[in-house]
Amino acid sequence: MHERLSFYVKRDSLIHCLNPLTKLTLVLAFVWVAFLTPYYWTPHLEILFGIIPLSFVGKVARSYLNAAVRIILPAASFLFIMQGLFQPIGSEAFFLFWFLHPTRESVMFAFANATRIFVMVSSFTLFLLTTHPSELMSDLTRRGIPGQFAYVIISTLQILPQMQAKAQTIISAQRSRGLDTESSYLKRASALFPLVGPLVFGSLVEVEERAIAIEARGFTSTHVKTSLHDVPDTSLDKAVRWFFIALALIALALRIWLS
Amino acid sequence: MLNHIKKDFNTMTWVLIPVAIAINIAIGEIVVLLKLPVYLDSIGTVLVGVICGPWAGAVTGALSNTIWGFAIDPNALPWWPVAFFIGYMAGRMAIWGFFKSWWKVIVTGFVVAITAAIISTPIAVYLYGGITASGSSFITAYLLQTGQGVFQAVFSTSFLVEPVDKITTSMLAFAIVQGLSKRFIARFPRPENVEMEGGANQTQLYIAVGVVVVLVLFAAFMLRNILGG
Repeated sequence: MHERLSFYVKRDSLIHCLNPLTKLTLVLAFVWVAFLTPYYWTPHLEILFGIIPLSFVGKVARSYLNAAVRIILPAASFLFIMQGLFQPIGSEAFFLFWFLHPTRESVMFAFANATRIFVMVSSFTLFLLTTHPSELMSDLTRRGIPGQFAYVIISTLQILPQMQAKAQTIISAQRSRGLDTESSYLKRASALFPLVGPLVFGSLVEVEERAIAIEARGFTSTHVKTSLHDVPDTSLDKAVRWFFIALALIALALRIWLS
Repeated sequence: MLNHIKKDFNTMTWVLIPVAIAINIAIGEIVVLLKLPVYLDSIGTVLVGVICGPWAGAVTGALSNTIWGFAIDPNALPWWPVAFFIGYMAGRMAIWGFFKSWWKVIVTGFVVAITAAIISTPIAVYLYGGITASGSSFITAYLLQTGQGVFQAVFSTSFLVEPVDKITTSMLAFAIVQGLSKRFIARFPRPENVEMEGGANQTQLYIAVGVVVVLVLFAAFMLRNILGG
């Protein structure tokens, strides 16, 4: 119950050793290029020659492909189908069915769009699989992000599983006393309060105690805090970062130049 | 200006934010479990905006979507500006005194909904080409078929869907605030935002609860009509 909520898979690989900021730059550059590129096939090539090989380099290919097939692919396919059928562009329809008339243009558009979303979601997934949240936060804090933000993110990741467990307990408890959560709309809508009430009030009670506890540990102190855990930032990291920033700029330049 | 904002971020605020984010996500999941046709995934954001000020609400919203994206569903990530402005607007309205009685909260909910619709439209259009991965996109798709422009179709959809959701959200946040003790609320930066007009009374709470049920039923009715017809 006290486990943290994260995708992180502990492995010993080149990608795991990179600085979190480097990985973040890489991910953002991937997304940036996918959305700004003037060439149609760039996002598709990014997946084939960027994201999938990187998941093998990071030794997280199995978890990544698992997530891709179970979560990302269904969402992207849904997007593809919806846009392919409903985008009102192009004139010549492949086939007519009821009021649906997918055209060549709309299907091409939908394919590109779904792939872009796929690139966006999967590069973030890859980032999360190879980066521990605390590592990311301690690195960002060292670089000048206020410690309070790190506190919010890390403690949310801790509170969330507890809260979800608490919600499950409340649902079972209310059901066992006969609360109807499955029949008509009216019943379900009014079941909202007996479920939300205890959850919210129960968790707000802890707020005050927690505030006193972290206040006593110097939460609002403005002194620079030292860290026990050191996150390495090598020259390779810097090189990789500049490479991807350059790549992003090239994509932007091409976009402006070619259009 | 900056000091003015800083005053809203005391330790209680920073501790409330993670809890509020967890509330957003947990209630969002309860609503899915109950199969209600609303999202209700920003109750915590509105709550923080109201009792800790607009910027605290904005931070809660933005971080909420970021964490939701990073921990549960990466599709939630690009929508963080929407959540940011939901929190900000809720806080602003509360400062203007629109969180002090049940009908004013309805106004707040409506204003928040319009804000959300305005902010989410460009994201939906530029990032997803108008049709997103959410269920309400069926309405957008339908409107696109009738010959409306992408912007217009997306905005009309949000305009149909958002008010019911955001008014319900604000009402629930209102009911929660009414249920908290005065001593507890006084520890946050802006307790004066939720001082009831004419003193606290139970009737307001019952009205708030009633409005939520009516709105959820209305949403169900609307959805059935749109999908059926």
